[in-house]
Amino acid sequence: MEHAGSIMGGRVLSSLTPAGLGILGVLIATFPVSFLGGLVPPPLFVFMPLYFWAMVRPDLMTPFWAFALGVFQDFLSGGPPGVWAASFLAAYFLIDRQRDMLAGLSGIGAIAGFAVAALSACLTAYVIVGFYYWHLPPVAPLLVELAMTVLFYIPAVFVIGVIHRRIVGPYRSDF
Amino acid sequence: MANGSFRIARNRGGAQLPLALLAALAVALILIGKAQNTLFDRTRAAVTDWAAPALHAARAPLVGLDRFMGSIGEIFSVYQENLRLKDENARLRQWRNAAIVLDDRVKRYQLLLRAVPDPSLSSVMARVIGRSNQPFLQTMILDAGKAQGIKPGQAVIDARGMIGRIFLTGHHTSWVILLTDLNSRIPVTLEPGNVQAIMAGDNTTAPTLDLLSQNVLLKPGAQVVSSGDGGLLPPGLAIGTVIANPSGGFRVVLLADSTSSEDVNVVDFKLKTEKPPAPSPNDLPATAAGLPPAAPPAVQSPVPGGSLAPSGAAAAPPAHAPTMTAPAAATPPSPEGAAVDNGNE
Repeated sequence: MEHAGSIMGGRVLSSLTPAGLGILGVLIATFPVSFLGGLVPPPLFVFMPLYFWAMVRPDLMTPFWAFALGVFQDFLSGGPPGVWAASFLAAYFLIDRQRDMLAGLSGIGAIAGFAVAALSACLTAYVIVGFYYWHLPPVAPLLVELAMTVLFYIPAVFVIGVIHRRIVGPYRSDF
Repeated sequence: MANGSFRIARNRGGAQLPLALLAALAVALILIGKAQNTLFDRTRAAVTDWAAPALHAARAPLVGLDRFMGSIGEIFSVYQENLRLKDENARLRQWRNAAIVLDDRVKRYQLLLRAVPDPSLSSVMARVIGRSNQPFLQTMILDAGKAQGIKPGQAVIDARGMIGRIFLTGHHTSWVILLTDLNSRIPVTLEPGNVQAIMAGDNTTAPTLDLLSQNVLLKPGAQVVSSGDGGLLPPGLAIGTVIANPSGGFRVVLLADSTSSEDVNVVDFKLKTEKPPAPSPNDLPATAAGLPPAAPPAVQSPVPGGSLAPSGAAAAPPAHAPTMTAPAAATPPSPEGAAVDNGNE
């Protein structure tokens, strides 16, 4: 009985880990600390777990979680609500359609796959913001943010991979 | 690093339908937010209030780490930095003495001219617990809100100058739209010359300047301060310095550094109603013209069965009365009336 409860608790933990890491990513991006002196925007930390688990375990990173993380990002960044929610869903659509191809990539290709997905999210956000304010924001900060996101994904994917193997994987072996 | 090393789940769980529904919901959110931009403010404030403890708790170690990492490079230049600061401190002391003398002189001039004194400013010190430095947004979250008397529209300054203004307040958090944000537009004055302009952010580090007059010769180096037009911001807040934009026009290099500000002041400013001093009998036109003041008029009895005539009608002189002295003598001058009359003159 106790063993069953432990397994159930582990399953709940593994279910909430991807979304929890996404929320953590939003909070980290909001912290008032810039280790690069504010010269560059912080990476889209929230997109890293979103991309990883939307590709590897879409049952844990569902469209609902992509939407919810986007709304949370919108609310904590001070921007108009729905922008990042729609952008993450657009990227989710791309990941969902190209999942087999993205999942087969390795090395630089895996990073490039992430970069394409992140680019789709950023471009969607850029277009929506352009229509929203009827004024195109400068492109350079967006490209810098995209570059920072891709750069930070390289170490982050190792951490996410470890979490996936240690926490998520053992309790979710039904696939 | 191979994505293929992870076992990929094949069960998509019918994601296409909820994806479409959620996408429609996201678009609806955007449209509703555009139509009613205050609709989500309460939710945003509640979310911020909810996340504030986490942001607050994480702030201290992260700021400490940030300072430590920032200080590593400064160790090697600490001697030169010390010399530079001593020199700067000596010069600033000279400027401080000059400022005290000039401030005293301005106060005496204001007293002599009976000028309306500048409104007093009070401020609330708040701590920066969140910062959004994104491609489309430049905002900040403070740990003070309605409970501390923070209201939307108030100016936010640090030790060097203005950073932005409050645009949303929660119970114990508030949001600051930075001067560099795409949506920031504030009226400013450029000194010297008292040139009026609008400073607009475009998500770069240096906001642009839109001059209100085309016949102004502006030079780089001019100082930018808030103009106070519209009564939203206090006048005279230091903002930055004008520089030439390589692609034409002018930009403003801000004095404040919002990326490193940790503690800021929220300036409580409310423009008081202007009340000039009441005029003395010597200020009346008749007296000023050298004529003796007219005798007060006889009190008229109210019209039976009717209401009292308004003061303006009561003050209207009879047809044969001299038009110059009658109005001044008929109605005792009130401060408000005098102010209106002076304004009309």
